[in-house]
Amino acid sequence: MDLSIEAGEFLAVLGPSGCGKSTLLRMIARLSVTNGGRIVTEPEQFQTAFVFQDAHLLPWRTVLDNAALPLELMGAGREERYTKARAMLAQVGLAEAETRYPAQLSGGMRMRVSLARALVTEPRLLLMDEPFAALDEITRFHLEVQLRDLWQRRGMTVIFVTHSISEAAFLANRAVVMTRRRGGIKLDRRIDLPAQRTNDLRSDARLGHEMRLLMGAMEEE
Amino acid sequence: MMHRRSFLSVCAATLVACSKAAKIRLALNWKPDPQFGGFYAAPYDKHGLDVEILPGGAGTPTVQMIGARSTEFGIVSADELVVARSGGNDVVALFAVFQNCPQGIMAHASRHLASISDVLKEGTLAIQRGLPYARILEKKYGFDHVKVVPSPGGDISAFLRDEKFAQQCFVMSEPLQARHAGVDVKVFPVSDIGYNPYTTVLATSAAQLKSDPDRAKTMVAAVREGWRAYLNEPAPTNTKMHDLNPSMDSAAFAEVAEAQKPFIETGELGSMTAERWTTLIGQLAELGDIPQAMPAQDCFRNL
Amino acid sequence: MKKLLPPLIPFVVITLALEWMVRSGFLPRYLVPAPSAVLRALVDSRDELAAAMVKTSAAALIGFALSTLTGVAIAVILSSSRAIQRSFYPYAVFFQTVPIIAIAPLLVIWFGYGMKTVIASAFIVSIFPVIANTLTGLLSTDPALRDLFQLYGASATVTLVKLRFPAALPQILTGLRVASGLAVIGAIVGEFIGGQGLGSVVDVARTQQRVDKVFAAVLLASVLGLALFGLINLISALTLRRWHASEATME
Repeated sequence: MDLSIEAGEFLAVLGPSGCGKSTLLRMIARLSVTNGGRIVTEPEQFQTAFVFQDAHLLPWRTVLDNAALPLELMGAGREERYTKARAMLAQVGLAEAETRYPAQLSGGMRMRVSLARALVTEPRLLLMDEPFAALDEITRFHLEVQLRDLWQRRGMTVIFVTHSISEAAFLANRAVVMTRRRGGIKLDRRIDLPAQRTNDLRSDARLGHEMRLLMGAMEEE
Repeated sequence: MMHRRSFLSVCAATLVACSKAAKIRLALNWKPDPQFGGFYAAPYDKHGLDVEILPGGAGTPTVQMIGARSTEFGIVSADELVVARSGGNDVVALFAVFQNCPQGIMAHASRHLASISDVLKEGTLAIQRGLPYARILEKKYGFDHVKVVPSPGGDISAFLRDEKFAQQCFVMSEPLQARHAGVDVKVFPVSDIGYNPYTTVLATSAAQLKSDPDRAKTMVAAVREGWRAYLNEPAPTNTKMHDLNPSMDSAAFAEVAEAQKPFIETGELGSMTAERWTTLIGQLAELGDIPQAMPAQDCFRNL
Repeated sequence: MKKLLPPLIPFVVITLALEWMVRSGFLPRYLVPAPSAVLRALVDSRDELAAAMVKTSAAALIGFALSTLTGVAIAVILSSSRAIQRSFYPYAVFFQTVPIIAIAPLLVIWFGYGMKTVIASAFIVSIFPVIANTLTGLLSTDPALRDLFQLYGASATVTLVKLRFPAALPQILTGLRVASGLAVIGAIVGEFIGGQGLGSVVDVARTQQRVDKVFAAVLLASVLGLALFGLINLISALTLRRWHASEATME
């Protein structure tokens, strides 16, 4: 595959199971090695963050310590990382929960902590691998709105892998559908929807139109 | 005393009644070695007995096995038989191999000790503390100056390594091993302190004796013949036992078989006297191992 | 009290049943002691048994502490590389399979008659579950979390200390639960050979055909095992309380 991503894009990656969506993400994150291909970035090094399908929090740490983890691993001092973590938790609406433990949180809250953790380093690239797949629909809707909001405010690049056509259409300004085998791209489309997206958009015909296009590309095989 | 049948004996008796020419088990309280020679040499078939000999080892509870009916005959020592009887286990002695107790304490000859009490003045003594003679020694001389450790059960490696190490032994067994290993030993027989129970005694339960007295008589006859044969010609039986117990080599078998003779051949093979039993019972009562004395006649039968 | 009642009832029933069976002659008293006889033995020999219990407890505790520290250390080393694991893990299994009765006399040669042999015995018998469970715990770290640590450039040591080890704690505690009981068994076996403590009481009483005293000593050994087990459970509850499914509750 040959894929070019601009800075500041919100790219959704769709495709059937086993097409390599997650692998692509891991390669971009330099967690997996490519074989016979290259990932080129401009600039070479920058802060990347990864959000997984499950929150994957450290259960023996408080919400605050979890959110602050990336800064801790990078060597930041206590005061600095706690300040930044608190700020991030406030942004995702969890300021009250900072002394709680993951076992005491709901699924949606845990995902929000995971999000805060990802953003605490102010990454320029945010990679997300079906992060909301395990959540109920209402929570999903709220988190999607919150995510788009964060993206717009921070100006980072987001690559969002998902199975959900409606999620892809709602969140992204560009969507790519991968082929079943050999990691090719079937469709590469600019999503034609307004920049400000609220939950009202969900019942809008324009969203349905985009979804039909994406669905068509998915179903062809 | 009304002997109420125990649950276990009801089961066992039923089983015995069901099987015809029932297999007779003889449980040993140690591995096959010359002390059991006569039992392995005995012509059971000739007397119409189907006997299975069950070798034992450290801690084989033969006297309890007889009581629990898991064996018809067993090898016990006279003192443990008396204690068992006082606890309600009605076992009876039939044939005493060792007329004189071959237990003793061995020490390095280089220590030039004069008597058994000298052994207790320093160093280490490996002894089974629960044995009556151990407690008689403790009562008489005290263990204040000697370090008492568990008996290594036939293994003399600790003894060889440490000059101040003394251990309990069978007078004709471990000392010979030590001499072969180059250490000269002085042996103090337990009988020196006046404690001389019959040892390696064939026993059975009183119930068995009552229900089948002929079988017990035949068993004793066969065993007596076996011992006569073994004392005359130990070699073939030694070979048989060595195959079962390779931990002792053939030369040692021969040597021990010879050395044990004086303890066995004192008169009629295996027979016992009430006087000896009475003395033993008195000693055990004094030690506190049994709550009160019992009639010597209850403990044994000369068949 | 609610927790104590369910296990207490079968205990009372069985004890009463045993008492009746021995008194009525159903079970011979030289094979199975009546519970009342065991109780009497406990009271009559209380000084001897108390001293013995102190010795056995000390040896079991020290042996257990040593096997915990050593076992965890060995598991950490084994978990660091596949090559090391493949080369050395089979030797760890040796600790599981070696019959302690067989090597106890060897222990006496190396450590002499006394406390050191008993501790060594407790150590050898109890170390394997610590190694096995700790290793499993360390190797089954959530791969996503490992990725996360890698993403932020954490070194192997940092990953071990801040991620793999805390994550392995529930598994480690499981191993300790098993090892605690084994340490008591190991101590008793060591005492058969090395001579002191409850093991020695059992050995001497057995020679004297004092089944009541044997059972009394065995009972105390079980109490010791239970106490150690309870201690581990307490530690587990305190450390895992806030975060593990096995201990936590949703607020």
